[in-house]
Amino acid sequence: MTKRDEDLIRRIAQGARTGQISRRDFMNYSAAAGLTVAGATSLWTKQAKAAPSAGGTFRWGIHDGNTGDTHDPGTYVTRTMIFLAHTHRSYLTMINGDGSLGPDLADSWEANETASEWTFEINANASFHSGRPVTGNDVVASFNHHRGDDSTSAAKALLSDVVDITADGNTVTFTLSGGNADLPWLMTDYHFAICPANDDGTIDWRSGDGSGPYQIDTGEFGVQFSLTRHDGWHGEGAWFDNVDIIVLNDPNARQTALVTGDVDAVSQVDVKTMALLERDPNIQVFNVPSAGAITLPMHCDTAPFDNVDVRNALKLSINRDEIIEKILYGAGTKGNDFHHSPAQPYWPDDIPQRDYDPDQARSLLKKAGAEGLTVSLSTADSVSAGAVDMAVLYAEHAKEAGINIEVVREPNDGYYSDVWLKKPFSLVSWGARPTPDVMYTLAYKSDAAWNESRWQNERFNEILLQAKAELDDSLRAEMYREMAMLARDDGGTVIPFFNNFVYGARGNVGTPDALASSWESDGGRAASRWWFTE
Amino acid sequence: MGDLAQLVLKRLGYGLLTLLVVSILIFFAVELLPGDVAEAVLGQGATPETVAAMREQLGLDRPAIIRYVEWLGGAVTGDFGISAVSGDPVMQVIGTRFVNTLFLAAYAAVIAVPFAIVLGIIVALLRNSVFDRVANVATLTSISSPEFFLGYILILFLAVKVPLFPAIASLSGDMSFFQLLERTFLPALTLVLVVTAHMMRMTRASIINLLASPYIEMARLKGVPPWKVIVRHALPNAWAPIINVVALNLAYLITGVVLVEVVFVYPGIGQALVDAVSKRDFPVVQAASLIFAGTFILLNLAADIGAILTNPRLRHPK
Amino acid sequence: MGIFVLGYYGFLIIASVILAYVGWRKWFLMVFALTLVSFVLGIVGGAPALRFVAIFAIVLAVAAMVSFAFKEFLVQIVRPNIAKELRTAPLTASFGMFVIFTYAIGGIFAPLIAPYGQAEVIAGAFAPADSDMLLGADQLGRDVFSRIIYGARNTVGLALIATIGAFVLGALAGLLAAVKGGWFDTFMGRVADVIMSIPSLIFALLMLSILGTSSWVIVVVVAIIYSPRVFRLTRAVAGNIVVMDYIEAAKLRGEGDWYLIRREILPNSTAPLIAEFGLEFCFVFLLIAGLSFLGLGLQPPIADWGSMVRENATLISFGDITPLIPAAAIALLTVSVNFVVDWMLHRSSGLKEN
Repeated sequence: MTKRDEDLIRRIAQGARTGQISRRDFMNYSAAAGLTVAGATSLWTKQAKAAPSAGGTFRWGIHDGNTGDTHDPGTYVTRTMIFLAHTHRSYLTMINGDGSLGPDLADSWEANETASEWTFEINANASFHSGRPVTGNDVVASFNHHRGDDSTSAAKALLSDVVDITADGNTVTFTLSGGNADLPWLMTDYHFAICPANDDGTIDWRSGDGSGPYQIDTGEFGVQFSLTRHDGWHGEGAWFDNVDIIVLNDPNARQTALVTGDVDAVSQVDVKTMALLERDPNIQVFNVPSAGAITLPMHCDTAPFDNVDVRNALKLSINRDEIIEKILYGAGTKGNDFHHSPAQPYWPDDIPQRDYDPDQARSLLKKAGAEGLTVSLSTADSVSAGAVDMAVLYAEHAKEAGINIEVVREPNDGYYSDVWLKKPFSLVSWGARPTPDVMYTLAYKSDAAWNESRWQNERFNEILLQAKAELDDSLRAEMYREMAMLARDDGGTVIPFFNNFVYGARGNVGTPDALASSWESDGGRAASRWWFTE
Repeated sequence: MGDLAQLVLKRLGYGLLTLLVVSILIFFAVELLPGDVAEAVLGQGATPETVAAMREQLGLDRPAIIRYVEWLGGAVTGDFGISAVSGDPVMQVIGTRFVNTLFLAAYAAVIAVPFAIVLGIIVALLRNSVFDRVANVATLTSISSPEFFLGYILILFLAVKVPLFPAIASLSGDMSFFQLLERTFLPALTLVLVVTAHMMRMTRASIINLLASPYIEMARLKGVPPWKVIVRHALPNAWAPIINVVALNLAYLITGVVLVEVVFVYPGIGQALVDAVSKRDFPVVQAASLIFAGTFILLNLAADIGAILTNPRLRHPK
Repeated sequence: MGIFVLGYYGFLIIASVILAYVGWRKWFLMVFALTLVSFVLGIVGGAPALRFVAIFAIVLAVAAMVSFAFKEFLVQIVRPNIAKELRTAPLTASFGMFVIFTYAIGGIFAPLIAPYGQAEVIAGAFAPADSDMLLGADQLGRDVFSRIIYGARNTVGLALIATIGAFVLGALAGLLAAVKGGWFDTFMGRVADVIMSIPSLIFALLMLSILGTSSWVIVVVVAIIYSPRVFRLTRAVAGNIVVMDYIEAAKLRGEGDWYLIRREILPNSTAPLIAEFGLEFCFVFLLIAGLSFLGLGLQPPIADWGSMVRENATLISFGDITPLIPAAAIALLTVSVNFVVDWMLHRSSGLKEN
């Protein structure tokens, strides 16, 4: 099928969905575009009459849940809790399906000229499930939960440059120590769910109350949650009457539950069986490029990685194409060793792609006097599906360049406390961050707590701060381009790919045209954005 | 029978001692594990300050011995503390899950134990026949693949290809007993397949082992039919090892089914325990381990009593 | 009706007639029963069902012939007294021995037999089988056949050492406890209780997280986990023997503990122990596979059968047989080991019938 045909099909599918063309025209157009009659029929039933309709119970299988989960937004870590948070709580802002930033609790926001002070206006219609309206105080308390000396929040680092937060009625003001043009984007971070404030300025997170589209009726952590629609929700959507969230940690359980119709959607499909699942006419598989990535940080202050030639040799000895083909089954975007994905704003599209070149790697090693290099690469099964396989494959590629990579499988248990940031060469999975600034500040700034490659580059740090406060988009884009070049050619992180989110739904589930790339299942908001077509 | 009562009391006393030792072992093993609850809960998001703050809130900055003694003091009075991760009482976290696990184990045991023993007796009777070989090959093959894989195969044939049973065994509160049995049939069947071979083969082996004994010879010479020789004469003396293996497998049905729980999405205690270990949630790990240990000790005691009751020589020691 | 179907029924009927004529009653009944069943099967399932039966029968016949030849071969090359024992082995036992022998050769000479290395990537993911790759390629494009051969070495080697370790530890402790009795018995019983009352996966998870995951640690931890089971069984069996009159007599003669264990108790308790060995061996396999579920198994890219099943297990739901190959390798070995065990059990029980 040519590019033109695909465009045509997309257009006619769009027409069918909005009811602009009849079934007969639809079939004719489809045949013209090279679709078979059967293919066109199934496309018609999938797309036509697909204007959102209310009702039904949405059973949603989520791939990552733990008995030890809690409603504390500071320690959200599993997908189940993150997606639940996007269903029963709200955030100040949200990432729309098309990747733009839109309002959630906050109606509008603006900055002063240096972007060091931001004000957010809270939607006057917003209310908690208990019936109480959401006020500025709730927002302030919710953010203070992540700040202060005794905070146990994992998001503390994200708010390190916030000096003060004050509320006046429904207006909330953030004062920063420096400019940050991306603050509204930062507000979409999954930790920053708004909870009802107590009188003493703390928040009540235990009750599970929130101001999101659905309220929790019953729930058991790591097992399942039942929710019903919150009639006083301030947003648009929330077509389902009820939502059942079911934790399905086993890939086979997710797959069969979807095939047998025990659930209506699953948040992850094993890429290994993605193609097989797509053949089922009752199932839709979504394959959405994201800003999530696998990184292989090398400690730049530890031999042999303290030599930039060695680092670049290792970057040249990985065959990204084969890894995307065999580990992701095509569901990914090639990485170029800077942590800025095409799914994020300001992506520089003119940087030359680094490819597999064992000969050049060899000569770099010779230059560094490190021929016959042997390094250990730590990984674990839990990092991502196929993480260990990927390391094994990388080791095979590196052999061509005369590098001996010993793959060390570490226990799943405690990987992020004992291996990450501690072992000099490891494999890490990063979730999607909304903007390059958030990503670079978290893990590449010289004094960042999670500077996983221990990379120190003065110029990089300097422009990072400049770009953060820059409100002119074209100037900012230029700065991110320079940072990307620095990270790519001097940095200590191999980035083989940005993974796609691959998830599925039954055929009778309707979805918007564009699916958000911030999390699986349409940015974790499937419950409020999707609907049943029949 | 007074001797037996005394023995039971003695063994219960030993059981408490075992529980104490287990609790000490588990406590220090969890202490020795790299990382602690603060690091585990914060995961990738841990920074030194937040970890320190959380440790202080949970009282982890105090010496291990003191924490253990405090826990023990509570446990003796029936208070197993609160989960370090969620802050809920431990019994609330694992109570219903343990009941679920017991239900599934009982379901599987009610099918598997009689089936395995009867099958064992039949194959001992028909030893070395085609039936014997086929029964052995079938049961051995069923325990040769990892149990999660066995589960996958059952799901494929009994839930996807022929939709007889639900593929996932998630429970909800308002199910009738028969709905419950239907929902949990596939995990129960998987467990039956996993434990049958062991019990069947032990039954077969212990019976065959006795068949050359003089008293069996005698019975046979007297013209007693073969099945009667086995059921009347061989079986009573073969019980000891059989009961032992049955107890072992019953314990396995309760303590060893994490993978089956994961595959069928069944909310049992195994998954809760693995989760708690990964989060270093000591109170939950400890309580779940002690429940397992207690179950095991009781089953063992039952097996030993069974062995004594079925062996006349042990019943009346000289 | 094709030539195949005609030939199929023709063969069965002629075979039945010949067997009836020479008077092999048992075989005649079986073959004739098969003929009758085939009529029904042929009507219901058609030629494919008959073809399946035929292939199954041929495989069975080839296995039987190989087993018979292997037994005769062994009888020829070993010393006469062992040869006499071997002659009593049923066909199933010689089949078991043949398989074990094949696995042993495969494991020992793995680098010579396997066409490729266990880590070598030679093809695309899940490339189909061809003359070069007998069983196709796995998810990374490595030769499945080579990995199965290496897996024989890694998995069977490890499981064998761990099982033997568990048996030496457990049986010795069990026998000593039965003979000595008293506080030693009680103490060992409690130690076993403590180890067994911690679920094996949790025990392994704790130990391996603390001690690391080198192969030796795995062997030792697995041996420790399984030894109490052997201990309890030995203790129970030996407990029954210790109260026998002939042991009392030996004690009155003034024989030492070692003598009792070696000459009186061990020979009389081998049967259940051997039966147990065949199964524990298989459980050790599965525990190691279960460990890899928690990310604690053997280090990659070492091939082990348990992990090979796990890596591609989800494919089974779409009828893809990739994960069945290593599972079949485990099953074949388990069945074979237990066939041999059955024969030894039968011999040690002293039953003269066949």
